[in-house]
Amino acid sequence: MAVEITFELPYTQWDWKVGFYIALIGIASGAYLMGYLADVRSRRHDEREHGRIAKWGYLTGLVGVGIGGPVLLSHLATPFRAMMVPLIMTNFGSWMAIGPYLLGGLVVGSLLLFLWVAFGRERPHGPSVTTEGEGAAADGGRDVASDGGTDSGPAKAATGGQAGGIRNVFNRVGILDYLDALADRTRPTETVRLGIGALFGVFAAGVLVYSAMAYGTGPADRVPLWDKTYLIPVQVFSGLGAGAAVAVGLAALEKRSVGRTIQSYSLVASGLLAATLVAVLATVALLPEQVPAAEPAVENMLSTYATLFVGGAILGGLVLPILLSVGAVVGQRRDALSPTAATGAYVAAGVLVIVGKITLALTYLLAAEFTAIPLPM
Amino acid sequence: MSTQDDNGTARVIPNWESCIDCGACEVACQRTWDLPPESDRIQVVALAHGTDDETNKPMQCYNCRDAPCIDVCPTEALHYSQSDTVRVDAGRCIGCHYCGVGCPFGAPQYPDGEVPEADEENLMGAKSDGLMDKCTTCEPRQEQGLEPACSSECPTDALLFGTPEELSERLEEDDTTQPFDEEAAAIIFGDDADMIVGGD
Repeated sequence: MAVEITFELPYTQWDWKVGFYIALIGIASGAYLMGYLADVRSRRHDEREHGRIAKWGYLTGLVGVGIGGPVLLSHLATPFRAMMVPLIMTNFGSWMAIGPYLLGGLVVGSLLLFLWVAFGRERPHGPSVTTEGEGAAADGGRDVASDGGTDSGPAKAATGGQAGGIRNVFNRVGILDYLDALADRTRPTETVRLGIGALFGVFAAGVLVYSAMAYGTGPADRVPLWDKTYLIPVQVFSGLGAGAAVAVGLAALEKRSVGRTIQSYSLVASGLLAATLVAVLATVALLPEQVPAAEPAVENMLSTYATLFVGGAILGGLVLPILLSVGAVVGQRRDALSPTAATGAYVAAGVLVIVGKITLALTYLLAAEFTAIPLPM
Repeated sequence: MSTQDDNGTARVIPNWESCIDCGACEVACQRTWDLPPESDRIQVVALAHGTDDETNKPMQCYNCRDAPCIDVCPTEALHYSQSDTVRVDAGRCIGCHYCGVGCPFGAPQYPDGEVPEADEENLMGAKSDGLMDKCTTCEPRQEQGLEPACSSECPTDALLFGTPEELSERLEEDDTTQPFDEEAAAIIFGDDADMIVGGD
Protein backbone atom coordinates (compact mmCIF):
# COMPACT_ATOMS: atom_id res chain seq x y z
CA MET A 1 0.00 0.00 0.00
CA ALA A 2 1.16 3.51 -0.73
CA VAL A 3 2.63 5.50 2.09
CA GLU A 4 2.07 9.17 2.67
CA ILE A 5 4.84 11.19 1.09
CA THR A 6 6.82 13.45 3.41
CA PHE A 7 9.04 15.28 0.95
CA GLU A 8 7.63 18.61 2.04
CA LEU A 9 9.26 18.63 5.48
CA PRO A 10 12.98 19.33 5.80
CA TYR A 11 12.73 18.30 9.45
CA THR A 12 12.40 14.70 8.28
CA GLN A 13 15.99 15.01 7.01
CA TRP A 14 17.53 17.28 9.63
CA ASP A 15 16.37 16.95 13.21
CA TRP A 16 16.91 19.09 16.32
CA LYS A 17 20.62 18.35 16.39
CA VAL A 18 21.19 20.36 13.24
CA GLY A 19 19.31 23.34 14.72
CA PHE A 20 21.25 23.06 17.96
CA TYR A 21 24.52 22.95 16.04
CA ILE A 22 23.67 25.93 13.85
CA ALA A 23 22.70 27.97 16.91
CA LEU A 24 25.86 27.17 18.86
CA ILE A 25 28.31 27.81 16.04
CA GLY A 26 26.56 31.15 15.47
CA ILE A 27 27.03 32.12 19.12
CA ALA A 28 30.62 30.85 19.08
CA SER A 29 31.64 32.84 16.02
CA GLY A 30 29.86 35.96 17.26
CA ALA A 31 31.54 35.67 20.65
CA TYR A 32 34.97 35.26 19.06
CA LEU A 33 34.48 38.34 16.92
CA MET A 34 33.23 40.44 19.86
CA GLY A 35 36.13 39.13 21.93
CA TYR A 36 38.60 40.11 19.25
CA LEU A 37 37.06 43.57 18.96
CA ALA A 38 37.49 43.99 22.72
CA ASP A 39 41.03 42.65 22.49
CA VAL A 40 41.96 45.28 19.92
CA ARG A 41 40.26 48.08 21.82
CA SER A 42 42.01 47.09 25.01
CA ARG A 43 45.26 48.45 23.62
CA ARG A 44 43.91 51.98 23.76
CA HIS A 45 41.26 52.09 26.43
CA ASP A 46 40.32 50.57 29.76
CA GLU A 47 42.50 47.55 29.33
CA ARG A 48 41.15 45.33 32.09
CA GLU A 49 37.43 45.39 31.23
CA HIS A 50 38.01 45.03 27.52
CA GLY A 51 40.30 42.16 28.39
CA ARG A 52 37.57 40.41 30.33
CA ILE A 53 35.25 40.54 27.33
CA ALA A 54 38.07 39.29 25.11
CA LYS A 55 38.84 36.37 27.40
CA TRP A 56 35.23 35.25 27.76
CA GLY A 57 34.53 35.86 24.09
CA TYR A 58 37.35 33.55 23.07
CA LEU A 59 36.31 30.93 25.61
CA THR A 60 32.70 31.09 24.43
CA GLY A 61 33.94 30.55 20.89
CA LEU A 62 35.82 27.49 21.98
CA VAL A 63 33.03 26.02 24.10
CA GLY A 64 30.35 26.77 21.50
CA VAL A 65 32.11 24.79 18.80
CA GLY A 66 33.20 22.23 21.38
CA ILE A 67 29.57 21.43 22.19
CA GLY A 68 27.96 22.11 18.83
CA GLY A 69 30.47 20.06 16.84
CA PRO A 70 29.93 16.78 18.68
CA VAL A 71 26.16 17.30 18.60
CA LEU A 72 26.30 17.54 14.81
CA LEU A 73 28.61 14.54 14.60
CA SER A 74 26.07 12.52 16.59
CA HIS A 75 23.56 13.30 13.83
CA LEU A 76 25.78 11.69 11.21
CA ALA A 77 25.84 8.01 10.37
CA THR A 78 29.64 7.85 10.46
CA PRO A 79 30.95 10.54 12.82
CA PHE A 80 34.51 9.24 12.89
CA ARG A 81 34.71 9.25 9.11
CA ALA A 82 33.36 12.80 9.07
CA MET A 83 36.09 13.88 11.50
CA MET A 84 38.75 13.12 8.90
CA VAL A 85 37.95 16.45 7.31
CA PRO A 86 40.89 16.91 4.93
CA LEU A 87 40.45 13.42 3.55
CA ILE A 88 36.69 13.34 3.30
CA MET A 89 35.39 16.90 2.86
CA THR A 90 36.57 17.43 -0.70
CA ASN A 91 33.63 19.00 -2.51
CA PHE A 92 34.37 22.69 -2.05
CA GLY A 93 31.29 23.57 -4.04
CA SER A 94 29.23 22.52 -1.02
CA TRP A 95 28.94 24.69 2.09
CA MET A 96 28.68 21.47 4.07
CA ALA A 97 32.30 20.81 3.11
CA ILE A 98 33.48 24.39 3.53
CA GLY A 99 31.96 24.67 7.01
CA PRO A 100 34.22 22.18 8.81
CA TYR A 101 37.33 24.00 7.60
CA LEU A 102 35.93 27.31 8.84
CA LEU A 103 35.05 25.71 12.18
CA GLY A 104 38.54 24.24 12.42
CA GLY A 105 40.00 27.72 12.01
CA LEU A 106 37.64 29.12 14.63
CA VAL A 107 38.60 26.41 17.11
CA VAL A 108 42.34 26.96 16.60
CA GLY A 109 41.93 30.74 16.81
CA SER A 110 39.79 30.60 19.95
CA LEU A 111 42.17 28.17 21.58
CA LEU A 112 45.30 30.20 20.87
CA LEU A 113 43.82 33.58 21.73
CA PHE A 114 42.23 32.27 24.91
CA LEU A 115 45.49 30.68 25.97
CA TRP A 116 47.41 33.87 25.35
CA VAL A 117 44.98 36.24 27.13
CA ALA A 118 44.04 34.02 30.06
CA PHE A 119 47.33 32.44 31.02
CA GLY A 120 50.93 33.37 31.66
CA ARG A 121 52.92 35.93 33.57
CA GLU A 122 52.99 38.29 30.62
CA ARG A 123 49.40 37.93 29.52
CA PRO A 124 47.76 41.06 28.13
CA HIS A 125 45.10 42.74 30.25
CA GLY A 126 46.49 40.82 33.22
CA PRO A 127 47.51 42.28 36.54
CA SER A 128 50.72 44.28 36.60
CA VAL A 129 53.01 42.25 38.76
CA THR A 130 56.29 43.55 39.98
CA THR A 131 56.92 41.64 43.14
CA GLU A 132 55.32 38.81 44.98
CA GLY A 133 52.48 40.14 47.02
CA GLU A 134 51.75 43.06 44.76
CA GLY A 135 50.15 40.73 42.33
CA ALA A 136 47.05 40.15 44.34
CA ALA A 137 46.61 43.85 44.97
CA ALA A 138 47.11 44.73 41.34
CA ASP A 139 44.59 42.13 40.40
CA GLY A 140 42.02 43.69 42.60
CA GLY A 141 42.78 41.69 45.66
CA ARG A 142 42.03 38.16 46.52
CA ASP A 143 38.74 37.42 44.85
CA VAL A 144 37.59 34.59 47.02
CA ALA A 145 34.17 34.43 45.44
CA SER A 146 35.42 33.61 41.98
CA ASP A 147 38.68 32.10 42.99
CA GLY A 148 37.46 29.66 45.53
CA GLY A 149 40.43 30.33 47.73
CA THR A 150 43.43 28.99 45.89
CA ASP A 151 46.77 28.69 47.50
CA SER A 152 48.56 31.91 46.67
CA GLY A 153 52.06 30.62 46.30
CA PRO A 154 54.78 32.41 44.41
CA ALA A 155 53.77 31.03 41.04
CA LYS A 156 50.18 32.08 41.46
CA ALA A 157 51.11 35.53 42.66
CA ALA A 158 53.60 35.99 39.87
CA THR A 159 51.00 35.22 37.25
CA GLY A 160 48.34 37.33 38.75
CA GLY A 161 47.28 34.85 41.36
CA GLN A 162 43.58 34.86 41.89
CA ALA A 163 42.68 36.38 38.56
CA GLY A 164 39.24 34.93 38.25
CA GLY A 165 37.28 31.73 38.27
CA ILE A 166 38.56 30.24 35.05
CA ARG A 167 42.18 30.21 36.20
CA ASN A 168 41.05 28.69 39.44
CA VAL A 169 39.39 25.86 37.57
CA PHE A 170 42.65 25.02 35.84
CA ASN A 171 44.52 25.47 39.10
CA ARG A 172 42.33 22.87 40.76
CA VAL A 173 42.88 20.50 37.88
CA GLY A 174 46.58 21.02 38.46
CA ILE A 175 47.57 22.35 35.05
CA LEU A 176 47.60 26.11 35.69
CA ASP A 177 51.38 26.35 35.96
CA TYR A 178 51.77 24.30 32.80
CA LEU A 179 49.33 26.51 30.89
CA ASP A 180 51.00 29.67 32.20
CA ALA A 181 54.37 28.44 31.03
CA LEU A 182 52.98 27.31 27.69
CA ALA A 183 51.28 30.65 27.12
CA ASP A 184 54.40 32.66 27.92
CA ARG A 185 56.54 30.43 25.77
CA THR A 186 54.28 30.61 22.72
CA ARG A 187 52.82 34.11 22.93
CA PRO A 188 54.08 36.35 20.11
CA THR A 189 54.38 40.13 20.29
CA GLU A 190 51.13 42.01 20.71
CA THR A 191 51.12 43.14 17.09
CA VAL A 192 51.63 39.62 15.82
CA ARG A 193 49.13 38.21 18.32
CA LEU A 194 46.43 40.59 17.16
CA GLY A 195 47.37 39.86 13.57
CA ILE A 196 46.84 36.16 14.21
CA GLY A 197 43.56 37.02 15.92
CA ALA A 198 42.47 38.92 12.81
CA LEU A 199 43.39 36.00 10.58
CA PHE A 200 41.24 33.63 12.60
CA GLY A 201 38.62 36.37 12.75
CA VAL A 202 38.15 35.78 9.03
CA PHE A 203 37.34 32.16 9.84
CA ALA A 204 34.93 33.29 12.57
CA ALA A 205 33.18 35.63 10.14
CA GLY A 206 32.99 32.73 7.71
CA VAL A 207 31.36 30.56 10.35
CA LEU A 208 28.83 33.32 10.98
CA VAL A 209 27.87 33.24 7.30
CA TYR A 210 28.05 29.45 7.27
CA SER A 211 25.49 29.37 10.08
CA ALA A 212 23.05 30.71 7.49
CA MET A 213 24.33 28.76 4.48
CA ALA A 214 24.25 25.48 6.42
CA TYR A 215 20.48 25.58 6.01
CA GLY A 216 21.00 24.58 2.40
CA THR A 217 22.31 26.48 -0.59
CA GLY A 218 22.59 26.11 -4.32
CA PRO A 219 20.81 22.99 -5.52
CA ALA A 220 19.66 22.34 -1.96
CA ASP A 221 18.10 25.80 -1.77
CA ARG A 222 14.54 24.67 -2.22
CA VAL A 223 13.20 25.78 1.15
CA PRO A 224 11.65 29.24 0.66
CA LEU A 225 11.77 30.06 4.38
CA TRP A 226 15.56 29.79 4.24
CA ASP A 227 15.81 32.57 1.66
CA LYS A 228 19.33 33.87 2.16
CA THR A 229 18.40 37.52 1.64
CA TYR A 230 16.56 37.35 4.95
CA LEU A 231 18.34 34.49 6.69
CA ILE A 232 21.89 35.85 6.46
CA PRO A 233 21.07 39.10 8.35
CA VAL A 234 19.15 37.09 10.95
CA GLN A 235 22.05 34.72 11.53
CA VAL A 236 24.78 37.39 11.44
CA PHE A 237 23.04 39.79 13.83
CA SER A 238 21.83 37.06 16.16
CA GLY A 239 25.24 35.39 16.26
CA LEU A 240 27.04 38.63 17.07
CA GLY A 241 24.37 39.78 19.54
CA ALA A 242 24.16 36.46 21.34
CA GLY A 243 27.94 36.09 21.40
CA ALA A 244 28.35 39.54 22.93
CA ALA A 245 25.58 38.98 25.48
CA VAL A 246 27.09 35.67 26.58
CA ALA A 247 30.56 37.21 26.94
CA VAL A 248 29.08 40.07 29.00
CA GLY A 249 27.15 37.62 31.17
CA LEU A 250 30.24 35.53 31.87
CA ALA A 251 32.38 38.61 32.55
CA ALA A 252 29.76 39.85 35.00
CA LEU A 253 29.55 36.48 36.71
CA GLU A 254 33.32 36.25 37.05
CA LYS A 255 33.77 39.40 39.12
CA ARG A 256 30.22 40.02 40.30
CA SER A 257 30.73 43.58 39.10
CA VAL A 258 30.41 45.39 35.81
CA GLY A 259 32.06 48.70 34.97
CA ARG A 260 31.19 51.21 32.27
CA THR A 261 33.20 49.47 29.59
CA ILE A 262 31.41 46.17 29.94
CA GLN A 263 28.14 48.07 30.20
CA SER A 264 28.92 49.47 26.78
CA TYR A 265 29.36 45.97 25.42
CA SER A 266 26.01 45.10 26.92
CA LEU A 267 24.45 47.99 25.01
CA VAL A 268 26.17 46.83 21.82
CA ALA A 269 24.73 43.35 22.39
CA SER A 270 21.29 44.86 22.88
CA GLY A 271 21.62 46.81 19.64
CA LEU A 272 22.58 43.68 17.73
CA LEU A 273 19.71 41.73 19.26
CA ALA A 274 17.36 44.56 18.28
CA ALA A 275 18.71 44.32 14.72
CA THR A 276 18.02 40.58 14.84
CA LEU A 277 14.48 41.31 15.93
CA VAL A 278 14.00 43.66 12.98
CA ALA A 279 15.43 41.06 10.57
CA VAL A 280 13.15 38.34 11.95
CA LEU A 281 10.08 40.57 11.81
CA ALA A 282 11.02 41.58 8.26
CA THR A 283 11.13 37.89 7.36
CA VAL A 284 7.65 37.36 8.72
CA ALA A 285 6.20 40.49 7.16
CA LEU A 286 7.95 40.71 3.80
CA LEU A 287 9.17 37.27 2.79
CA PRO A 288 5.71 35.85 1.94
CA GLU A 289 5.08 38.85 -0.31
CA GLN A 290 8.37 38.49 -2.15
CA VAL A 291 8.48 34.70 -2.16
CA PRO A 292 4.88 33.42 -2.08
CA ALA A 293 6.08 29.84 -1.67
CA ALA A 294 7.34 30.82 1.80
CA GLU A 295 3.86 31.69 3.04
CA PRO A 296 2.98 28.24 4.45
CA ALA A 297 6.21 28.12 6.45
CA VAL A 298 5.72 31.61 7.86
CA GLU A 299 2.18 30.60 8.71
CA ASN A 300 3.59 27.58 10.52
CA MET A 301 5.83 29.86 12.56
CA LEU A 302 2.88 31.95 13.63
CA SER A 303 0.46 29.11 14.32
CA THR A 304 1.78 25.58 14.89
CA TYR A 305 5.10 26.78 16.30
CA ALA A 306 3.91 30.09 17.77
CA THR A 307 4.92 29.11 21.29
CA LEU A 308 8.42 28.26 20.16
CA PHE A 309 8.79 31.21 17.80
CA VAL A 310 6.95 34.04 19.50
CA GLY A 311 7.37 32.89 23.08
CA GLY A 312 10.82 31.32 22.97
CA ALA A 313 12.72 33.01 20.17
CA ILE A 314 11.17 36.51 20.01
CA LEU A 315 10.07 37.30 23.56
CA GLY A 316 12.37 35.05 25.56
CA GLY A 317 15.42 35.15 23.32
CA LEU A 318 15.39 38.72 22.03
CA VAL A 319 12.97 41.13 23.74
CA LEU A 320 13.60 40.05 27.33
CA PRO A 321 17.42 40.01 27.01
CA ILE A 322 17.31 43.47 25.45
CA LEU A 323 15.18 44.78 28.30
CA LEU A 324 17.36 43.11 30.93
CA SER A 325 20.62 44.38 29.43
CA VAL A 326 19.48 47.94 28.82
CA GLY A 327 17.66 48.02 32.15
CA ALA A 328 20.74 46.85 34.01
CA VAL A 329 22.97 49.44 32.36
CA VAL A 330 20.54 52.28 33.01
CA GLY A 331 20.00 51.07 36.56
CA GLN A 332 23.74 50.93 37.23
CA ARG A 333 24.44 54.31 35.75
CA ARG A 334 21.72 55.88 37.89
CA ASP A 335 22.91 54.01 40.95
CA ALA A 336 19.50 52.44 41.19
CA LEU A 337 20.68 48.85 40.95
CA SER A 338 22.88 46.86 43.27
CA PRO A 339 25.91 45.09 41.76
CA THR A 340 24.30 41.76 42.60
CA ALA A 341 21.06 42.63 40.84
CA ALA A 342 22.94 44.00 37.84
CA THR A 343 25.07 40.86 37.65
CA GLY A 344 21.93 38.76 37.80
CA ALA A 345 20.42 40.73 34.92
CA TYR A 346 23.50 40.35 32.68
CA VAL A 347 23.79 36.65 33.45
CA ALA A 348 20.07 36.09 32.85
CA ALA A 349 20.35 37.92 29.52
CA GLY A 350 23.27 35.70 28.55
CA VAL A 351 21.37 32.53 29.37
CA LEU A 352 18.21 33.72 27.62
CA VAL A 353 19.99 34.56 24.36
CA ILE A 354 21.45 31.04 24.23
CA VAL A 355 18.02 29.52 24.73
CA GLY A 356 16.52 32.00 22.27
CA LYS A 357 19.13 31.31 19.59
CA ILE A 358 18.54 27.57 19.83
CA THR A 359 14.79 28.11 19.79
CA LEU A 360 15.03 30.34 16.73
CA ALA A 361 17.14 27.77 14.88
CA LEU A 362 14.71 24.99 15.75
CA THR A 363 11.77 27.09 14.59
CA TYR A 364 13.44 27.66 11.24
CA LEU A 365 13.85 23.89 10.89
CA LEU A 366 10.46 22.79 12.15
CA ALA A 367 8.35 25.36 10.32
CA ALA A 368 10.18 25.03 7.01
CA GLU A 369 8.62 23.35 4.01
CA PHE A 370 10.16 22.31 0.72
CA THR A 371 8.88 23.84 -2.48
CA ALA A 372 6.32 21.59 -4.09
CA ILE A 373 7.77 18.53 -5.73
CA PRO A 374 8.09 19.28 -9.47
CA LEU A 375 5.75 16.61 -10.76
CA PRO A 376 2.50 16.96 -12.66
CA MET A 377 -0.34 16.32 -10.23
CA MET B 1 13.89 -2.10 -24.40
CA SER B 2 17.58 -1.35 -24.44
CA THR B 3 20.10 -1.10 -21.69
CA GLN B 4 22.91 1.50 -21.58
CA ASP B 5 23.99 2.47 -25.05
CA ASP B 6 25.46 5.36 -26.94
CA ASN B 7 22.11 7.07 -27.32
CA GLY B 8 21.98 8.35 -23.77
CA THR B 9 21.58 7.24 -20.20
CA ALA B 10 18.89 4.61 -19.71
CA ARG B 11 16.55 5.40 -16.84
CA VAL B 12 13.40 4.09 -15.22
CA ILE B 13 10.57 6.61 -15.29
CA PRO B 14 6.96 6.29 -14.21
CA ASN B 15 3.93 5.95 -16.42
CA TRP B 16 1.77 7.11 -13.59
CA GLU B 17 -1.62 6.65 -15.16
CA SER B 18 -0.97 2.92 -15.21
CA CYS B 19 0.09 2.50 -11.58
CA ILE B 20 -2.38 0.49 -9.54
CA ASP B 21 -0.39 0.63 -6.29
CA CYS B 22 0.16 -3.12 -6.20
CA GLY B 23 3.68 -2.82 -4.73
CA ALA B 24 5.16 -5.36 -7.15
CA CYS B 25 8.04 -2.99 -7.95
CA GLU B 26 8.94 -2.67 -4.27
CA VAL B 27 8.92 -6.42 -3.81
CA ALA B 28 10.92 -7.04 -6.99
CA CYS B 29 13.59 -4.57 -5.89
CA GLN B 30 13.90 -5.90 -2.35
CA ARG B 31 13.93 -9.52 -3.48
CA THR B 32 16.45 -8.97 -6.28
CA TRP B 33 18.93 -7.15 -4.06
CA ASP B 34 18.11 -8.89 -0.79
CA LEU B 35 17.40 -5.53 0.80
CA PRO B 36 16.34 -5.13 4.41
CA PRO B 37 12.69 -4.18 4.94
CA GLU B 38 13.66 -0.60 5.83
CA SER B 39 15.12 -0.01 2.39
CA ASP B 40 12.89 1.74 -0.13
CA ARG B 41 14.92 2.14 -3.27
CA ILE B 42 11.56 2.34 -5.01
CA GLN B 43 8.36 3.15 -3.22
CA VAL B 44 4.76 3.72 -4.21
CA VAL B 45 3.91 6.94 -2.42
CA ALA B 46 0.78 8.96 -1.91
CA LEU B 47 1.02 12.47 -3.29
CA ALA B 48 -1.37 15.21 -2.19
CA HIS B 49 -2.42 12.93 0.63
CA GLY B 50 -5.85 13.68 2.06
CA THR B 51 -6.94 15.90 -0.81
CA ASP B 52 -9.13 15.33 -3.84
CA ASP B 53 -5.95 15.21 -5.92
CA GLU B 54 -4.48 12.33 -3.96
CA THR B 55 -2.73 9.88 -6.20
CA ASN B 56 -0.29 7.01 -5.81
CA LYS B 57 2.90 7.01 -7.80
CA PRO B 58 6.06 4.89 -7.85
CA MET B 59 9.11 6.99 -7.12
CA GLN B 60 12.81 6.27 -7.13
CA CYS B 61 16.08 7.87 -8.19
CA TYR B 62 15.92 9.16 -11.77
CA ASN B 63 19.72 9.44 -12.10
CA CYS B 64 19.42 13.12 -12.94
CA ARG B 65 21.60 14.64 -15.63
CA ASP B 66 22.04 17.70 -13.37
CA ALA B 67 21.88 15.83 -10.10
CA PRO B 68 21.46 18.22 -7.13
CA CYS B 69 22.60 15.48 -4.77
CA ILE B 70 26.02 15.32 -6.41
CA ASP B 71 26.44 19.09 -6.21
CA VAL B 72 25.73 19.28 -2.49
CA CYS B 73 27.42 16.10 -1.27
CA PRO B 74 30.31 17.37 0.89
CA THR B 75 32.39 14.21 0.58
CA GLU B 76 31.87 13.45 -3.11
CA ALA B 77 30.38 10.12 -2.08
CA LEU B 78 27.84 10.75 -4.83
CA HIS B 79 29.22 10.74 -8.33
CA TYR B 80 28.43 9.78 -11.89
CA SER B 81 29.32 6.29 -12.98
CA GLN B 82 30.83 5.54 -16.39
CA SER B 83 27.30 5.07 -17.67
CA ASP B 84 26.34 8.53 -16.37
CA THR B 85 24.06 7.20 -13.67
CA VAL B 86 24.33 8.47 -10.11
CA ARG B 87 26.21 6.20 -7.74
CA VAL B 88 26.90 6.42 -4.02
CA ASP B 89 30.20 5.32 -2.56
CA ALA B 90 29.29 3.85 0.81
CA GLY B 91 32.92 4.17 1.83
CA ARG B 92 32.77 7.98 1.64
CA CYS B 93 29.18 8.70 2.70
CA ILE B 94 28.84 10.21 6.19
CA GLY B 95 25.04 10.09 6.34
CA CYS B 96 24.59 13.87 6.64
CA HIS B 97 21.26 13.87 4.71
CA TYR B 98 22.31 16.89 2.65
CA CYS B 99 21.43 14.92 -0.49
CA GLY B 100 18.03 14.27 1.07
CA VAL B 101 17.50 18.01 1.36
CA GLY B 102 18.82 18.61 -2.15
CA CYS B 103 16.92 15.92 -4.06
CA PRO B 104 13.56 17.21 -5.37
CA PHE B 105 12.22 13.66 -5.67
CA GLY B 106 12.90 12.23 -2.24
CA ALA B 107 15.08 9.48 -3.64
CA PRO B 108 17.82 9.24 -1.01
CA GLN B 109 17.11 6.68 1.69
CA TYR B 110 19.01 6.11 4.91
CA PRO B 111 18.17 2.58 6.05
CA ASP B 112 19.38 1.50 9.47
CA GLY B 113 19.05 -2.20 8.83
CA GLU B 114 21.94 -4.62 9.10
CA VAL B 115 23.12 -6.52 6.06
CA PRO B 116 24.98 -9.82 5.95
CA GLU B 117 28.74 -9.44 6.10
CA ALA B 118 29.16 -10.99 2.66
CA ASP B 119 26.94 -8.33 1.10
CA GLU B 120 28.96 -5.52 2.60
CA GLU B 121 31.87 -6.41 0.37
CA ASN B 122 30.04 -5.81 -2.86
CA LEU B 123 27.52 -3.13 -2.22
CA MET B 124 25.86 -1.09 -4.86
CA GLY B 125 24.66 1.58 -2.55
CA ALA B 126 24.81 1.49 1.20
CA LYS B 127 21.84 -0.61 2.35
CA SER B 128 22.53 -0.03 6.04
CA ASP B 129 24.00 1.88 8.94
CA GLY B 130 22.15 5.11 8.20
CA LEU B 131 24.21 5.77 5.07
CA MET B 132 22.62 7.01 1.87
CA ASP B 133 21.13 4.35 -0.35
CA LYS B 134 19.20 4.63 -3.58
CA CYS B 135 18.13 2.90 -6.77
CA THR B 136 21.06 1.53 -8.77
CA THR B 137 19.03 1.07 -11.96
CA CYS B 138 19.94 -2.62 -11.52
CA GLU B 139 23.23 -2.08 -13.32
CA PRO B 140 24.37 -5.72 -12.89
CA ARG B 141 21.12 -6.89 -14.50
CA GLN B 142 21.66 -4.47 -17.35
CA GLU B 143 25.10 -5.97 -17.93
CA GLN B 144 23.31 -9.27 -18.49
CA GLY B 145 20.95 -7.63 -20.96
CA LEU B 146 18.07 -7.50 -18.49
CA GLU B 147 15.83 -4.62 -17.55
CA PRO B 148 15.77 -3.35 -13.97
CA ALA B 149 13.73 -5.63 -11.73
CA CYS B 150 11.00 -3.08 -11.03
CA SER B 151 10.14 -2.26 -14.63
CA SER B 152 10.55 -5.89 -15.59
CA GLU B 153 7.98 -7.10 -13.07
CA CYS B 154 5.48 -4.24 -13.15
CA PRO B 155 2.22 -5.89 -14.26
CA THR B 156 0.74 -2.72 -15.76
CA ASP B 157 3.80 -1.22 -17.46
CA ALA B 158 3.70 1.69 -15.06
CA LEU B 159 7.49 1.80 -15.07
CA LEU B 160 9.21 2.46 -18.36
CA PHE B 161 12.89 1.86 -18.97
CA GLY B 162 15.09 3.24 -21.72
CA THR B 163 17.15 6.07 -23.10
CA PRO B 164 15.45 9.47 -23.50
CA GLU B 165 14.74 8.73 -27.14
CA GLU B 166 13.23 5.34 -26.36
CA LEU B 167 11.19 6.75 -23.50
CA SER B 168 9.91 9.52 -25.73
CA GLU B 169 8.77 7.01 -28.36
CA ARG B 170 7.15 4.86 -25.73
CA LEU B 171 5.24 7.74 -24.18
CA GLU B 172 4.07 8.80 -27.63
CA GLU B 173 2.97 5.29 -28.55
CA ASP B 174 0.99 4.90 -25.35
CA ASP B 175 -0.39 8.43 -25.63
CA THR B 176 0.15 8.92 -21.92
CA THR B 177 0.53 12.03 -19.84
CA GLN B 178 4.05 13.37 -19.65
CA PRO B 179 5.52 12.15 -16.40
CA PHE B 180 7.35 15.35 -15.49
CA ASP B 181 6.86 19.06 -15.79
CA GLU B 182 9.51 21.15 -17.55
CA GLU B 183 11.45 21.94 -14.37
CA ALA B 184 11.72 18.30 -13.37
CA ALA B 185 12.51 17.16 -16.91
CA ALA B 186 15.35 19.68 -17.13
CA ILE B 187 16.87 18.35 -13.92
CA ILE B 188 16.51 14.72 -14.95
CA PHE B 189 17.25 14.76 -18.65
CA GLY B 190 19.32 17.91 -19.10
CA ASP B 191 19.63 18.74 -22.78
CA ASP B 192 17.39 15.79 -23.66
CA ALA B 193 14.46 17.18 -21.66
CA ASP B 194 12.64 18.33 -24.78
CA MET B 195 12.28 14.73 -25.92
CA ILE B 196 10.26 13.97 -22.84
CA VAL B 197 8.19 17.12 -22.37
CA GLY B 198 7.59 17.62 -26.06
CA GLY B 199 9.67 20.64 -27.00
CA ASP B 200 10.34 21.28 -30.63
